[in-house]
Amino acid sequence: MANFNFKIVAAAIVGVAISFTPSAAFAQTTAAVEITPDTPLEDVGRENTLVLGWSVSSPVGVTNPWAVPGYSSSEGNSLMWEGLMFYGIFTDQDIPWLAESIEYTSDDYTSLRIKLNPMAKWSDGVQVTSKDVVFTMEGQMNNDLLRFNKTFNTFVDSVIAVDDLTVDVNFKVPAPRFKFDVLTLKFDTGMPIVPAHGFDGIDNVNEYAGGVDLPHTGPYDLVAWNQNQKIYNLRESWWAIEAGLSEVPDVKRVVIANLGGTIGQNMDTVAQRLVNNEMDSALDMRQDLIASILEKNPNITTHSGSEAPYGYLDWWPNALWMNTEEGQFADVRVRRAVSLAINREQLNDILFDGAEIATIVPFPLFPGLQKFMDTDGVQALIAKYEPGKYDLDEVASLMSEAGYTKNGDDLWEMDGETVDSTINGFEGIHSDSVPILVEMLRRAGFDASTNFGTDAFQNMADGAPGLYMFGHGASLKDPFATLDFFNSRNAGTAGEPVGAYQFARYSNPEYDEILNAMSVIPSDDPAFEGLATQALEIYWRDQINVPVIQWVHRIAYNQTYWTNWPTAENVGVGVNGAFWHKTSPLVVTNLKAAQ
Amino acid sequence: MTISTAPHKPQKTGWLFPFLRYLGRNKSLGIGLVILLILVAFTLFGQFFVDPKDAYPLSVPSKRPPSWEYPFGTDFYGRDLMAAMVVGMWQTAFIGVVAGGIGTFIGVVLGFVSAYFGGWVDASIRTVCQILTPIPVMLIQVVVAGSLDKRSVTIFTMALIVVMLAWMGPTLVIRSQVLTMKERQFVSVAKLSGVSDMGIIFKEILPNLLPFVAAAFVGQIFLAVFAAFYLAVLGLGPLREPLLGNIIWLAQSQGAFFNGWWWWPIIPSLGMILILGSLALINMGLDELSNPRIRRSE
Amino acid sequence: MISLILRRLGFLMLIIWSASTIIFFIPRLSSVNPVRERFAELSRLTGYAPDDLEKIVQSFNKQFGLDLPLWQQYIDYLGNVITLDFGYSLNRYPTTVVELIAQSLPWTIGLILFATILSFIIGNLLGAVAAWPRAPRWLRNTALPFVLLMGVPPVLVGVLLLFFVGFQLKFLPLGGAYSIGLLPEMSWSFALDLLRHQILPALSLVLGSIGGWVLTMRGMGITIQGEDYVNFAEHKGLSGHRIFFDYYLRNAMLPQVTAFGLALGTVVTSAIIVEGLFALPGVGTVLINAIRANDFPVIYGIVLFITISIAVIMTLLEFLYPLLDPRINNE
Repeated sequence: MANFNFKIVAAAIVGVAISFTPSAAFAQTTAAVEITPDTPLEDVGRENTLVLGWSVSSPVGVTNPWAVPGYSSSEGNSLMWEGLMFYGIFTDQDIPWLAESIEYTSDDYTSLRIKLNPMAKWSDGVQVTSKDVVFTMEGQMNNDLLRFNKTFNTFVDSVIAVDDLTVDVNFKVPAPRFKFDVLTLKFDTGMPIVPAHGFDGIDNVNEYAGGVDLPHTGPYDLVAWNQNQKIYNLRESWWAIEAGLSEVPDVKRVVIANLGGTIGQNMDTVAQRLVNNEMDSALDMRQDLIASILEKNPNITTHSGSEAPYGYLDWWPNALWMNTEEGQFADVRVRRAVSLAINREQLNDILFDGAEIATIVPFPLFPGLQKFMDTDGVQALIAKYEPGKYDLDEVASLMSEAGYTKNGDDLWEMDGETVDSTINGFEGIHSDSVPILVEMLRRAGFDASTNFGTDAFQNMADGAPGLYMFGHGASLKDPFATLDFFNSRNAGTAGEPVGAYQFARYSNPEYDEILNAMSVIPSDDPAFEGLATQALEIYWRDQINVPVIQWVHRIAYNQTYWTNWPTAENVGVGVNGAFWHKTSPLVVTNLKAAQ
Repeated sequence: MTISTAPHKPQKTGWLFPFLRYLGRNKSLGIGLVILLILVAFTLFGQFFVDPKDAYPLSVPSKRPPSWEYPFGTDFYGRDLMAAMVVGMWQTAFIGVVAGGIGTFIGVVLGFVSAYFGGWVDASIRTVCQILTPIPVMLIQVVVAGSLDKRSVTIFTMALIVVMLAWMGPTLVIRSQVLTMKERQFVSVAKLSGVSDMGIIFKEILPNLLPFVAAAFVGQIFLAVFAAFYLAVLGLGPLREPLLGNIIWLAQSQGAFFNGWWWWPIIPSLGMILILGSLALINMGLDELSNPRIRRSE
Repeated sequence: MISLILRRLGFLMLIIWSASTIIFFIPRLSSVNPVRERFAELSRLTGYAPDDLEKIVQSFNKQFGLDLPLWQQYIDYLGNVITLDFGYSLNRYPTTVVELIAQSLPWTIGLILFATILSFIIGNLLGAVAAWPRAPRWLRNTALPFVLLMGVPPVLVGVLLLFFVGFQLKFLPLGGAYSIGLLPEMSWSFALDLLRHQILPALSLVLGSIGGWVLTMRGMGITIQGEDYVNFAEHKGLSGHRIFFDYYLRNAMLPQVTAFGLALGTVVTSAIIVEGLFALPGVGTVLINAIRANDFPVIYGIVLFITISIAVIMTLLEFLYPLLDPRINNE
């Protein structure tokens, strides 16, 4: 029997050994897959470290903003890159940064002059000059993988370095929004300046990871990156200190803790880790969760303190988008019926504890946009179209008019087909709202269900039957950028997939004409408001999509180790507190150590 | 030694009382059956007391702790959890029994055929099983569920997706049991005395296999409910239905524990533990029933 | 014996080829394009929304050979299977599949092996004891709570552990492979930190899976007790633990060994979701991301890696089977 036992043991050992063979094969073929510091990191202490929770998704080592599609500007990389100018949404002020000034030099907005800050330096000590700006802009113009490629080609005629610190941009057509849309960093958008000398000898700039080698201007340097976390250290020689734009930041180290999974999963664990002071901030939360966090840890606060909605408006209001070109939602009466089926008051009650977050417009109600909403013209439209109306009787009459009848399941049906109202959405961010919307639609007779599956985005891009819960990332000051999503130029080709924000596939020459007229005038032009009102009328008349909720960033700010977070009472430089936005250097460098 | 080990067939008259007395001796079977009967009664009679519509969102005030009006409380979306449990228990049981039943049936038939007849039949069945078993079933379920039109993902299609690749386990286990059993004395004796293949299968081997078949059935129900749960976790199930897995996942996604809404995840979790726990107990009891040599004499 | 081994190896190749083929075509049933998914993710998370996404997607399709006919991609793919190199991840470009696996594999292997072996041993012993008439009553009953626990999927055990142990007691970490801000190093303090972070995830896998072993083992055990050779051994007057280990446990274990290979697959499945719950950066986390984005090179790489490992182990068990039960031979 002893012999027999020996056999088992021997076999078991062989088994385990063989099961490792494939892993050995993998291990052999692989090179370094992590960024590790050459020398062990010095211990700066928890009190000097800012810990931020995020689900890191970009490939290890990609810090080059031109690496497409690897680079993500969230996940801490925004701490490395700066733009010509920042914009403080809460103060409505430009914050000159790498540029001392950006001025339009002609009345018709066809030329613009950038004056660089002479103190600005790259992390390797080289001065930031007009050469870098020209390199950045020409890159955008010639490289069709980059974010602003089409914008540059639409507007920009030439970029000329006048001297070391001055750049002139000449436009083909009036470009009143170019300075704000492209040259200014705010929220998730704007163009960071990249180093001309950092790309010397690089054949394909879109494949170059960047790693720790690429010179940058931002205050923090990447020192370690693995599956568990990313670590950034403060660079004491950051140019903005010497230039007097910033004091020496208290935050010596930033750790982005990888929460794994996709954004928004397992948020109660994240919440508990915040309460345990393991993290100082993390991605944004659903309302009830953040209320509980505040209750459990009095050191944690939010943008609006401990008052609902525990945050600020983000620029991403969500709507139920649909294919207006073909399928069941091509009929405007059906689209209108979807809107009438939604009880926005009930949404506010259930999702937001009564705070008024449900919306009737596709743009965020920041001060400038709220002012537009309050104009007589828009108010008259609201009275005329009642975009927020909830009325099941009217749903019934519209659907009957469109040729639908109720079937045995109490669902609208035509030629044996119910209205496919599957809501495609994203689990982490929509699991509170979409099930409620599904139920509202079902009660109105739409064959609704939830799809948080792998194919959700693909369905949106393909224009598949159903509804698409998605935001609008565009307007901040005036409604142009959001309304421009419905310009025919964004309608795509029937049967071919389209990009984000083009899901409506709406085309209407009358609408295009209004938008094209708006694009060449600034929002303070007297004609602008009238045009915007006309466009909004068409948006509501044709119910291009169904706006549902404003997007609220409910971010926890833990004050155990760090104070001076940007809040409604303490707006600071005026940027929002999301550490994943392009304005994050201003948030992080302004934090004060609490201990 | 006796050849047949089949359980005694109860007499037509007066079987109930001895049966109950037997349950008194076979405690795990007794307890398991009692729990299962209570659950069945709960979901069956519950249908008369609750409005199944209340199992769906927006039916009742949300986030209420258990009270006289809502014995199990209500959830974030405005479901009455009492109604949700009645409907969800029914649906969970449906998936389990349909998927488990089909899976076990296929497994038993194939396992038998394979082990008993041997040769190329055995070789081909075994080959197919061995090719399929190392493939992580979940991936295939996920991709299939993911590529289906969401409106056609119903309770029934869930069961079919789950069963699609769930029959190899029972096949292999039954096959290996029949293999050992074939070598045993009583089967050889029966073969020598000219009993037909079918006779041997149904009279000699099958009764001895009952504990394994039952265990396989319970195992299949576990797998079915697990798989349904995983699909729910990935957002691929019929999300609107109050399946126990869906309720737990939704509770988790809204941070129910952290927010202090403990009843929301705990009640369906308990329901799940009870369903599968009772089946496990019954399974243990069945072992005793089918193997009379170890029936307790007390 | 040599010919047997050759035949088995040939069979193993057949398994790998069939599995590779099935796995190749399944993700292709879906129309989800991983490159577009990455842009979708960027547009959701960072506001990156290129004006002409389709042009970009097309150029990537061309670069990765996705515009070739499917059969040609299949041939290329079989070549990749042989070298175990699946090139770039389409969703995490420019990371290669091998890099992704190498980054995440250690976390998963550690977790799975630890949890499976632990639950196999504990579960089978408890199951055998539960069916063993001579064991003391209290010992027989220890199996019961685990049988009841198996009603809870590991991920749910994880959720409950997180809440009742992690949130309330506050001495076990709630997530991550090691403490935030540390970097891996060879030191006792780091090893200890690492271990502390594995406790809750491993427990979630173990607690729920012990019951399964207990239950089937008990079924086997009861049947085998009635067997002649066990009775005979008892009459011969062999000592209790001798009968338990040599006659009873050994024979009852037979079907369990087959089940062990099967269980690996199940545990992998559970580990995939449990990893996500505890923010462990393992293969499961990578695979789930890949499935969500239909990043098929990564799906191929990971699924085949798991499949081949399991197939190898199961082939080995086929060899082991006649060693364990002399009544059967492989011929």
